Amino acid sequence: MFDQVEAFYRPRTIRQAVRLLHEGGKRARIVAGGTDVIVEADPSIRTLVDITQLGLSYIRKVGNSWTIGATTTMAELEDSAAIRGLAGGILAKAAAACGSVQMRNMATLGGNLANGSPAADTAPPLLALEASVVLEGARGRRTLPLAEFFSAPGRTALGKELLVEIVAPTPARGGRRGWAFLKFGRTESDISVVSVAAGLQLDARGACKAARIAMGAVAPTPLGMPGAEAILTGAQLTAERMAQACERVARDVSPIDDVRAPAEYRREVARVLAGRALRECAQQAGVTL
Amino acid sequence: MKTPTIRLTVNAEAREWSIAPGDLLLDVLRRQGYFGAKRGCERGECGACTVLVDGKAINSCLMFAAQADGREVLTIEGLARAGELDPLQAAFLDHGAVQCGYCTPGMILAAKALLDKNPNPSEAEVREAMTGNYCRCTGYVKPVEAVLAAARRSSGAVEKTVGRLVRLPHLKAMRRKR
Repeated sequence: MFDQVEAFYRPRTIRQAVRLLHEGGKRARIVAGGTDVIVEADPSIRTLVDITQLGLSYIRKVGNSWTIGATTTMAELEDSAAIRGLAGGILAKAAAACGSVQMRNMATLGGNLANGSPAADTAPPLLALEASVVLEGARGRRTLPLAEFFSAPGRTALGKELLVEIVAPTPARGGRRGWAFLKFGRTESDISVVSVAAGLQLDARGACKAARIAMGAVAPTPLGMPGAEAILTGAQLTAERMAQACERVARDVSPIDDVRAPAEYRREVARVLAGRALRECAQQAGVTL
Repeated sequence: MKTPTIRLTVNAEAREWSIAPGDLLLDVLRRQGYFGAKRGCERGECGACTVLVDGKAINSCLMFAAQADGREVLTIEGLARAGELDPLQAAFLDHGAVQCGYCTPGMILAAKALLDKNPNPSEAEVREAMTGNYCRCTGYVKPVEAVLAAARRSSGAVEKTVGRLVRLPHLKAMRRKR
């Protein structure tokens, strides 16, 4: 399947990897878990640059943030006590939803994002957490909010750069909070038809201090939902308010028809799934609706 | 830093193989005679090519052979010890969990990775661990029963061992029987 590949490199440093990527030009491809690169089987690839030897498999607390190396696998994320404890475990839940055990032992967080799929399951929780990505190229490092990383299906802000790590700020603890990640697909291990991550923070009287909603597979890129968040923020959390926010979600998504679902079905599922996620958050925050 | 040669351990034996840069682990294993790793969908969906790498179940159709350098691979051929079937293999036979047999090596290895990590799984945990292994003959009831039976057999033996530590002769007799 990859008979045309002329070289498989396993660099030990990020600098080497970036240089190999430059030398290989358009025909060079980064590979880590392989679950996307091998399935795509792009016949133009001549050089493969394996980044699994760069020491980028880690989950570390740095200051007030969790820093996750790009080659950390889905299995490592779902098994990590730190990630399970971060924001109700929404990122761990999303990682556990990324296909079979075999897939999750190989697939990496960096790959899930760098592949640029609108349905990347780890993207909505990371968007809800206001995460950033750190990219390194020949001219050094830059940090980008994840919301600015995705540009179109299969396209990201990555130039001849490596996605090195993902930085997720720790949400403040305490108070009345709730988090949820929900995925809807044909089967449990299938790609998402719609996925959603949500978070709510309430004050003592049940008014919403902050709301986060992000969705997958409903637009050309994974997407935050600022319109719906604004409807909730500052308001008393009632069933009517939440229904309004979900209506806004249904209006703001721009899904496509594909083999898995027609656009109008996706729009309706987006509304319903956002509602379920918000109710789950509200329940955790001690509000029964 | 091309990798024309990889050194790895396959079924506890050191191997050194020449490979092409774009070879997949599945291609190389089959070329070297490990036909227990089956070629199915070639896109990580069916699980027939499942092997364990450093104890973890992976799809060998989705791993470049070059990435197996320095690692420990277990295929179905390495599971039986000195002609004795692994408890999982025995349970698959006892429970009629094998029909055409094409999915069987992958299923047993996926189950082995689970039991090594979690010796007493619930039925739901067994089903979750085998989500990535398709059977196109019959279904999943018999394989799931087999995995649960193998788990009971292994962990049952452990419980007995712990409970009857003082009665060594009994233990010795049990070992001889196995």
